[in-house]
Amino acid sequence: MYDLIVIGSGPGGYEAAAHAGRLGKKVALVEEGRIGGTCLNVGCIPAKAFLRSSRLCRELREGACYGIQANPGKLDMVAVVERKNRIVATLARGVDELLADAQVAVINGRARLTGRDQVEVGGERLQAANILIATGSRPAVPAIPGIGSGNVIDSTAAFELTEIPARVAIVGAGYIGLEFATFFTDVGAEVAVFEVLPQVAAGCDRDVGDRLRQSLQRCGVTFHLSCRVLGIDGRQLSYADSSGQRQTCSADLILHATGRMPVVDDLGLERAGVDFSAGGIPITERGRTNVPGIWACGDVTGTHMLAHVATREAVVAVNNMFGKPDRIRYDAIPAVIYTHPEAASVGRTEQELRDAGIGYDRTVVPMGVAGRFLIENEAGSGFLKLLTGARYGEILGVHAVADLSSEFIVAAAALIEAELCVRHAAEIVFPHPTVAEALGEALRRAQQGRQS
Amino acid sequence: MATTVQMPKLGNTVEECLLTAWLKHKGDAVAAGDILAEVETDKASFEVPAPADGIVLDTFFDEGAVVPVFTSICVIGAAGETIDETLTPGPPPAVDSLTASARPRPTDSAGWPAQALGQVPDIEARPAGTVIPARPGAGRAALSPRARRFAREHDFMPPEVTGSGPGGRVVEADLRALFGTLPRLSEAAGARASEGAVVPPDGSGIGGMIRAADLGAPAARISAVRQRIAERLRDSLGSTAQYTLNSSANAGGLLAVRRALKSDPQTAGITIGDLVIFCTIRALGQAPGLNAEFTGGILCQHSAIHLAFACDTDRGLMVPVVRDSQRLSLAELSLRMRELAEQAAAGTIGPDDLTGGTFTVSNLGSLGIESFTPVLNPPQVAILGIDTIGLKPVRKPDGNIEFIDSIGLSLTVDHQIIDGVPAARFLNVVRHEIENAPQLCTT
Repeated sequence: MYDLIVIGSGPGGYEAAAHAGRLGKKVALVEEGRIGGTCLNVGCIPAKAFLRSSRLCRELREGACYGIQANPGKLDMVAVVERKNRIVATLARGVDELLADAQVAVINGRARLTGRDQVEVGGERLQAANILIATGSRPAVPAIPGIGSGNVIDSTAAFELTEIPARVAIVGAGYIGLEFATFFTDVGAEVAVFEVLPQVAAGCDRDVGDRLRQSLQRCGVTFHLSCRVLGIDGRQLSYADSSGQRQTCSADLILHATGRMPVVDDLGLERAGVDFSAGGIPITERGRTNVPGIWACGDVTGTHMLAHVATREAVVAVNNMFGKPDRIRYDAIPAVIYTHPEAASVGRTEQELRDAGIGYDRTVVPMGVAGRFLIENEAGSGFLKLLTGARYGEILGVHAVADLSSEFIVAAAALIEAELCVRHAAEIVFPHPTVAEALGEALRRAQQGRQS
Repeated sequence: MATTVQMPKLGNTVEECLLTAWLKHKGDAVAAGDILAEVETDKASFEVPAPADGIVLDTFFDEGAVVPVFTSICVIGAAGETIDETLTPGPPPAVDSLTASARPRPTDSAGWPAQALGQVPDIEARPAGTVIPARPGAGRAALSPRARRFAREHDFMPPEVTGSGPGGRVVEADLRALFGTLPRLSEAAGARASEGAVVPPDGSGIGGMIRAADLGAPAARISAVRQRIAERLRDSLGSTAQYTLNSSANAGGLLAVRRALKSDPQTAGITIGDLVIFCTIRALGQAPGLNAEFTGGILCQHSAIHLAFACDTDRGLMVPVVRDSQRLSLAELSLRMRELAEQAAAGTIGPDDLTGGTFTVSNLGSLGIESFTPVLNPPQVAILGIDTIGLKPVRKPDGNIEFIDSIGLSLTVDHQIIDGVPAARFLNVVRHEIENAPQLCTT
């Protein structure tokens, strides 16, 4: 009899297991694949490893801007993948140690719920007072004729590429598609992105999406927006363009990145009476499903699909399981797109505020206000947008398009979490010179705007 | 020469009024008769007109302040005129005896912030992480100089604080102790709370910090009228032994009379409710025991029937009084009730038309209510509820059943004074009057 059985070992599952183990609970973690889940093995970490290599490619090309004459080096994808694998392996060892230290029993196999407090793994039935479902998500396969062709891959397969094709077509301009667009274009491929919506990075603040698109276009990426991919035939991708005209595009590799789907099938959820749909398992802010004793966290809930949300949801669920009331607040969740330039956001977008009828003030500063940004980005530009409540000056959202914004967006998240208003937030001292100073400048300007 | 404008005394019993809104502000030009402000007594709201032409040189109270009558609330004069000689913001009472909200707002030169005296604090003046009292309201305690300084420096003054100094005086330590124990609000939550949002005991933020989303909907300031209603109804239930008798009367005659009245434009406005009240007044003439007030152990029966009737208005329940209703004809009664109801709805009814009732009628019949429990309006000893008209089966002398139109009557009486049988008898008299409406209304 376990205190907790966790199904899935991604950043939600392993954190939950380790946290419960450290609380002295008897915990089993069931994983059918590799420890670490999507994030570590085929998601965040490999993508950023790839992007580090592609950035170096770009920087070598741009070296002259910084006074360095360098040959544009030769890309060795085998070495890039090996480096990625080393990083993944190092981090996976770290997770293994974390779980071992917390005395978590790691069970390899596929878990199915056979009751409210029972999980079956490889024919063996395990009892638990609590079950946490953290099965994550998998790439959604769009219903496009020919999607199963040999040169069509998803993001998971992309992390094993040993050669860079000359022409890459990416279906989907969400964050995954955009990050791959940056990667492939920086390593010298010709990239075309196909998106059914009229904008890229749907869900982001509109200005962020527009600027990202413009920046990527300047880097050579072609965007086909408001278009529908009709079919794939060998290297030919046919699509209806924004005016409905049938067009074709030739590509050596087609990557589909049309989002991710929660893994809810064949888990025995029906049998345990857990409410779910193809869109995921709904949970409360405390991590509960509709069935007492069964909890869920992360991508399988189908909402945020962010590793850091999974981790926090996991800790919240475990705390609540074992008597420490806790809840997650979703209003200060930062999100980053690791394109070039990066986009980092937290809080509400202008569209969301308008839809909610919330009065707000908008302060936009060009990233050039931060000396460090100019130093780090010879040819780059960007902006930071601060949205504050019209009445009280509370910080409602911060949206930046700027390299290194991923590293300081957490400061904005803290301001939102603490519900600090600009009057006092503007008193915070920012280190100089840093890219983050753009946020400090925006706060000061917003405060000046309120005084005038 | 500048003219000061005082809070008017709006009724014999009115001692203070709530200043609900300024319609003119400092610097506005006004003509004599322009409305300067709206004020509210326990019973109704009024407008304060400008007594002279000129410029509003200054106002002495914020909206929401409760101001004693005959207190200067603003001053009107010529542009640029100095107001020092005329500036007398009210009879200057001692701090201890004055409720916080009745203190004049400090003028620009005065250093003492209004919020430290328990008024709604200035949002912008509140630092991050300060604590806000869980229940917004006005404090009354006298503060030591150091407590005042602490309150000022921390933008903090809880609505209720027990003073540990001499004579209950609040000293700095009292405030410091509360400052550390009251729930911690985020800056954004604090700003909302200071405007009246309800603060829960526990928050969802880091370490239990109360965030804006945790706050309840801003608590609307309940009007003086509503406060008065609340107090009176609580007192009613607390100080009497109420019980309700339900009965009904054949309404066939009532409906016939109404049809007849409707055909004449002169009387078309007379309602079923008017008819029932007219019958009730007649019944009270025959049963004076219920037209009485009981207070302080003394029972006072009245010969004059000052009939109070419950009236729904945007400001809440009002109960206008038709004086000497026994002297009025049906048409006069109906007209008078309509006048009073319109004034009550418009908020222009005089306080003296809202007091002095000897018996109350509450009519919910038009809303389809079949039976209810009217609450006594003390010191009155009885109240009659008028219910809806519905079909009721009755057995005819020949043994057959027929359906008649029947109107429900719900009589609440104070058992301290009125026993069951006399109450039932009175209800029977009312029923008799209603069933004989055709005769009495044609006279």
